[in-house]
Amino acid sequence: MRISSNDAIALIDANNFYASCEQNINPNLRNKPVVILSNNDGCIIARSPEARALKIKMGTPYFKIKEKLHKLDVAVLSSNYSLYGDMSRRLMNLLKNYCEEIEIYSIDEAFVSISRPNDKNLYPWARNIRSLIYQNLGITITVGIGENKVRAKIANKLAKNIDYSAGIFDLARTRNKNNYLKRISVDKIWGVGKQTSNWLQSKGIKNAKELRDMEENEIIKKLGIVGKRLQLELKGYKCLLIEKSKKSKKEIQVSRSFGTPVTKLEDLTQALATHAIKASEKMRSQNLQSSNIRVFARTSKYSSQNYQRSAHRKLTNPTVDTNTILKIVVELSKEIYNPEYKFSKAGVLMQDLTNSEYLQQSVINYKSQKDLKKSANLMRTIDLLNKRFNNNAITWAITKTPKSWTMNKNFLSRSSTTDIDHLPTIVK
Amino acid sequence: MDSFDSATKKSRIPLLNDSVSAGFPSPADDYTEESIDLNEHLISNPFSTFFLRVKGDSMINAGIKDKDLIIVDKSLIAKPGNIVIAMIDGEFTIKRLSIKDDELYLKAENHNYPNFSFKNHIDVQIWGVVIYSIHSY
Repeated sequence: MRISSNDAIALIDANNFYASCEQNINPNLRNKPVVILSNNDGCIIARSPEARALKIKMGTPYFKIKEKLHKLDVAVLSSNYSLYGDMSRRLMNLLKNYCEEIEIYSIDEAFVSISRPNDKNLYPWARNIRSLIYQNLGITITVGIGENKVRAKIANKLAKNIDYSAGIFDLARTRNKNNYLKRISVDKIWGVGKQTSNWLQSKGIKNAKELRDMEENEIIKKLGIVGKRLQLELKGYKCLLIEKSKKSKKEIQVSRSFGTPVTKLEDLTQALATHAIKASEKMRSQNLQSSNIRVFARTSKYSSQNYQRSAHRKLTNPTVDTNTILKIVVELSKEIYNPEYKFSKAGVLMQDLTNSEYLQQSVINYKSQKDLKKSANLMRTIDLLNKRFNNNAITWAITKTPKSWTMNKNFLSRSSTTDIDHLPTIVK
Repeated sequence: MDSFDSATKKSRIPLLNDSVSAGFPSPADDYTEESIDLNEHLISNPFSTFFLRVKGDSMINAGIKDKDLIIVDKSLIAKPGNIVIAMIDGEFTIKRLSIKDDELYLKAENHNYPNFSFKNHIDVQIWGVVIYSIHSY
C-alpha cells in the first residue's frame, strides 16, 4: 500500500462496445439505432447511442419490445461473439502500446497503469489513445484516471456523465474532489454489491464521499478487510494492484445456453459431446492436453428450481484425443443428469492443462506408440480438413442427429473480421 | 472403452522413441529458416488491419478487379493519391482519394462510374486506406 505516487491508474472502456463493433463493420448500421440481444435472443444487452436516444432500456426482454423496435426502425442483432472477441483482442493489443501494465478486466474494459509526465498532466495522453483507438477500430473509449483502481472506476463514470469531459476525466487532478465523490452513489462504487449498498444506505451513507469518511471500525466490523481496502482506495491509497494477464491458460471451457430447456439425457449428452469436440480442438490448436475433464449442467438462474451439478474425471495421463475425451464425457453426462430438472446451460471444462509437445514421450495412456501416432495423425487430419473446408466438415456421429437444444441466434451478423467467407463487400 | 481404461491405469514407459531419425543430416539443416509468412510481409499493423472483398469493376483502371481481396489498414491517415474505403449511404465504397483545385474528391478508376464529391454529403466516412489487393488468376 502506498499513497498516490507518480503512477496513475486508468480504467479504459469502450462505449457501447457490441453496437460499435457492429456499426464499424457494417455501413448500413452507421448512425442508426442498433440493439444487441443476449444469448438466445432473450433481452437487450447493448444499445447504440441512437437506440439510447430512443429511450430503449437495457435488459428489456425482446418479445416485449419487438413491435416497438420494428416501428422505430431499430436494427436488431443477436450477439456475435466472434466479432466482439476479435475486436476486443485488437483493442487490448493496441492499448498495450500506450501504458506500462494492463489488466484486461472484461471484453471491453481494462485497467492500465501509466506514469505521469513531468507536468503531471495525463489529458494529452488520454486524448491521444482515444483518437488513436477511434481511428484504428472505429470504437470510442472512455478514460477514467485516478490514484488507484476504485478511483479510476469512479473517474470513468464521471467522464461519461459530465458533458464537457469529452470522455476523459482525471479525478486525481481535480481540486474539488468532495463534490465529485458526492455525485457517485454507493451502489455505483466498484466492489459494492447490492447487499452492501443496502446496508450502507440503512446507515445513512449515500455516496462515495460519505463512505470514504465513514467510521472505519464500523466498516471493518461489517465488511472486513475488503471494506477497509475499499475505504483506503477511496481515500487515495493504492491497495489493489494491476493483475497482468496470465500467460498460459489454466483451463479451456466450452459452454452454451440451450435454445429450449433440455430434459432428456440424449440431448444433454449430445450437447456435451459437441462442446467436448470443440474443446479438444481448441486444446490441440494451442498444443495443450488435459488430465482433468469436467462437465457441468445447471438450471436457469431465473427458474424456481435451482440445480447445478458437475462431475469430473482425473486421468493418469493427459490427453487431447477427441475419442478418449468423448467417451469420458458421455459417461460423465450420465452422472450429472437428473430427469427432474430442466437444464438451461451445460458445458465442458478441460483442466490441469499441460503442453502436449511432451506427448511424444508419454505414450502411457495408449496400448502402443503406434496407437498414439495413429490418434495424433487422425486428429491432425480432422483439424486440417475442418480448417480447410468448413468447420465441422468432419465430426463425430453423436453430434449429427437433430438438435433440439441449440441457441437461438436469429439475427446474427457475419463474422466479418475473422472468416474469409464472411468478409464485408465493397459494392461501388 | 479401451483407451479410456488404459488411460486411467498405470502402464509402461517405452524404451525407444522412433521419432528420432537416423542417417545423414541434411546439408540444409543449418540454413533452415521459417517459411515466408504473407501476414508478416504485407501487414505492419495487424490490430488495425481488416480484409474486405470487392464486388464489381469500379476500380478496374487501378488494377482492382471483381472478387479481389482487399487489405485495409485503418491506422493510416488517408492522403490524396491513396486508394481508400469509404462508408457512403450505407455502403462500403472503394475510390481513389484525389485533389483538384484544392478540393478533395473520390475518384472512380473506371469511366463508367461517377466520381464522388464531398459537397452535399454530410455523412461520409473515410473508413481506411487500401494497402494491397490480391487477385486470383
